[in-house]
Amino acid sequence: MKDFFKYFDKLTFVLLLLLAVIGIFLIYSAGHPTQEIYYLKQTAWLVFSLLAFFVVFALKTDFIFRKAFAVYLALLVILALQIVIGGTVARTKSWFRLWGVGLQVSEFVKVPLALYLAKMLAQFDVINGKAFIKVLAMITVPMALIILQPDMGVSFILCSFVPLVILLKRVKRSVLAVSFLLVLLCGIVGWYSVLKPYQKNRIVSFLNPSAYKTSTGYHIIQSKIAIGSGGLGGKGFLKGSQSQYQFLPARHTDFIVSVIGEEFGFINTSILFFIFFLVFYRQFKFNFQNDEEFYFVFLFNGLILFQFVINVSMAIGFFPVLGISLPFVSYGGSSLLSFFIGEAIIFRIKINNYLA
Amino acid sequence: MYLSKKKLTPEDVKKAVAVSIAFLIVIFAGIFLAYWNIQILQNEKYSQLALKNITRLIELPAPRGLVVDRYGMVLAENKINFTLYLVRENVESLEKAIQMASFFSGKSAAAIRQIIDKYKKYANFYRIPIKSNLPRSTVIFIQSRQDEFPEFEIGMEPSRTYPLAEHAAHVLGQISEIDDAELNAGSASTYDLGDLIGRSGIEKQYEPYLRGTKGSQTVIKNNVERIQQVSSEITPVIGDTVVLTLDLRLQEFIENLLAGENGVIAVLDLKTGGLLALVSKPEFDPEVFSREMGWEEWQAISNDPQKPLQNKFLQGIYSPGSVFKIIMALTGLQEKIITPATTVFCTGSQVFYDRVFHCWKPGGHGTVNLFSALQNSCNIYFYNLGKKLDIDTIARYAHLMGLGSLSGIDLPNENSGLVPDRAWKMNAFRQKWFPGETISVAIGHGSLNATPVQMLKMIATVALRGRMPKLHLLQRIEKQGKVVREFVPEFFRVPIAEENFELVIEGLFRVVNNEGTGRAAKIPGLDICGKTGTGQILAKENPRYKMLTQEKKFMPNSWFVSFAPRNNPRLAIVVLVENGGDAGSIAAPLAAQIYKKYFEK
Repeated sequence: MKDFFKYFDKLTFVLLLLLAVIGIFLIYSAGHPTQEIYYLKQTAWLVFSLLAFFVVFALKTDFIFRKAFAVYLALLVILALQIVIGGTVARTKSWFRLWGVGLQVSEFVKVPLALYLAKMLAQFDVINGKAFIKVLAMITVPMALIILQPDMGVSFILCSFVPLVILLKRVKRSVLAVSFLLVLLCGIVGWYSVLKPYQKNRIVSFLNPSAYKTSTGYHIIQSKIAIGSGGLGGKGFLKGSQSQYQFLPARHTDFIVSVIGEEFGFINTSILFFIFFLVFYRQFKFNFQNDEEFYFVFLFNGLILFQFVINVSMAIGFFPVLGISLPFVSYGGSSLLSFFIGEAIIFRIKINNYLA
Repeated sequence: MYLSKKKLTPEDVKKAVAVSIAFLIVIFAGIFLAYWNIQILQNEKYSQLALKNITRLIELPAPRGLVVDRYGMVLAENKINFTLYLVRENVESLEKAIQMASFFSGKSAAAIRQIIDKYKKYANFYRIPIKSNLPRSTVIFIQSRQDEFPEFEIGMEPSRTYPLAEHAAHVLGQISEIDDAELNAGSASTYDLGDLIGRSGIEKQYEPYLRGTKGSQTVIKNNVERIQQVSSEITPVIGDTVVLTLDLRLQEFIENLLAGENGVIAVLDLKTGGLLALVSKPEFDPEVFSREMGWEEWQAISNDPQKPLQNKFLQGIYSPGSVFKIIMALTGLQEKIITPATTVFCTGSQVFYDRVFHCWKPGGHGTVNLFSALQNSCNIYFYNLGKKLDIDTIARYAHLMGLGSLSGIDLPNENSGLVPDRAWKMNAFRQKWFPGETISVAIGHGSLNATPVQMLKMIATVALRGRMPKLHLLQRIEKQGKVVREFVPEFFRVPIAEENFELVIEGLFRVVNNEGTGRAAKIPGLDICGKTGTGQILAKENPRYKMLTQEKKFMPNSWFVSFAPRNNPRLAIVVLVENGGDAGSIAAPLAAQIYKKYFEK
């Protein structure tokens, strides 16, 4: 038990906690004009997430890897059931009420999927056609279910596993070529059949925001105005006109970075980014002992990095608005809980060396 | 991409970590630069946009300036107009709200629903105007029970009011909302949508003074335009006060005098050229234009054959009839065609150019000279004078005396009337002038026509022996009690010899004081000089003239132009009674009553 504490990465833990607390302050500011109590809910979720963090941290990594596939399947079943029965919150069926608390089940797929993919990657030499199909199936089945919810953001994030796998493992050239064609095909089919008009609008408006000033391009423009007008030092807590007079949409979720950009300025936004950098740095850079642990760390960290980059680029108009939140900071209990569980596993992996 | 062994070596891991860290650095540097660009380099641009997002300039309308008469009696001022608004975000039950709105406004529930429908796309807090000009009792009722009716709001806006209703309505004119065409017309336009602008009368003439200076409010608004706070305010400045030369008591006296008739009476102060009274009948209530008017009401007013909206003093055109004989006499004398000794024998009719022309007196006047011809308005005398004169000469003198051109009085939309001559005939009809037409013009008929203001200016010029006054209604303009503009009387010398005016005045004196056609205007001791005129209704409006003269609308117009006293004259009056019939018994007595009223005080 003493060793647990001795080798536990206290600095990274504090940094993560700091991100979540900064998030709560920003969520408070975002909810201020309409007197929302999102910040209280998020605080409750943070407490619960920390509890979950330590529970998972205490579990043996082998055990977690063993149970990953079962959890993964269970989540698929719940997602499928939701599509059949599901209630609707915020235009999507992805919310699931459990003991009176809204759960976004899709968020929880990230961890078991990363675990199981890591296990698979550890078993292959080279990814040939058969292996690639297996990997793709693992990723696309939950993606499809989540798209049907419909929740573009999370399914797009799961997508990131595909390039991560290709980066991590040697893949046969022929497989790469075929998969490239498949992606192209999916894109075309997706555009014409799967995407809802509002989702298409988001993508089109990203390409030319000023032509959609009053509709979806509005989000991008207002977010850029918020961030740009923040300047070096920001306008002050609760003093950002874009946030407080509600020009900024989805302030507490997708555009939380615009709130810090406007109210706290470039210096503080850079500090926030630097905290993220430090977290990534410390979570990538350590000695691995075990193949599946290595793959998990890279897959899950990669996923967080991917989500982070997309979120902060979206806020300044470098990426379409797809409903992707900022990890650890944005409002959303399920997302927070899911990330802390994933991090707990990485934290445990990091001390496995010393415990052995 | 590169890890292909089943079992990873520590070197593999080290390499992967190194690549990841390098990748991280690149990514974060990119994000850092992108945020640097937008937050630091483009900060100015986005700050402007953020400010533009939240600030709105709201204009505060300025109250229009007052219009008062020469003694300070108020003719036009401003009042508070109460408007009932419905605010949907405060509505509990829409049905109940519609019922109450219908009760307060007197409009049907369906009409209320229609109004609300029009504002469907507006934000919920938008104030939907249900009814303007809300009666005070309703305002008090709602305001005292505001907590029962949270969905209703009472708005207060300044609106124009004319406390004397239709008195002097034609002088004051109207105002109404500016239209799109006017807004887009001049690039220098300082008007905005919804602004009121003078349409006629003094309201139009002195618009730049009356409109005042708008104020403004800079407010902070949120994304749905709801006002969060007022950041600065400039108070509006009321327009200047326009003081008119009118004497309201005289004006009202004349309005009552002319009650029931259509026509014009105007009284001129010969010392200054200022109008003391200007009455054009029928009148209208100028306030109808400040409030919402139904299509039917507008149609009724604008299509009324009596033309209540027309200021007939300067817009109505009429045959001057025998009044024109004054100009004929001046022309004859100045051109030395006649002298007071010239006589003509009137038998009641005479043939000119193969056509019989009649005098108004069937038996004829016998031998007439200039004085008796004016005194009895003998047509034969003036036919003969006309025959000796050329139409272009007559036209030249008519123009000298102010006919055929704008009088220049300070009221808008004046008509110039028509003085026919050869050039005009050729232009208008591609025909040469027939000598017979000159005979008709000689007694003020034919194509000749004029406005009452021209007749008044003409008689004033005669009274002043050739000094033509500049007519005006403006006495002065005051800005917060200080005079910013004052009218200075102006007179122009007409190139007609003074002794010729004296000769004509002798004739005009006899018209009233020597049993002439204007004897009904005689007031002992006041030496009134005048001239009657019977202007026949234009032939094209009256094809069956002879058969229908008994019908009121085909009766000739009655003129009486006059001034008094004969020496050192002070007052000139023009009277025109539409379809009045005999001028001597209709128009002349009205003038007498005005002189009596004016000089008795």
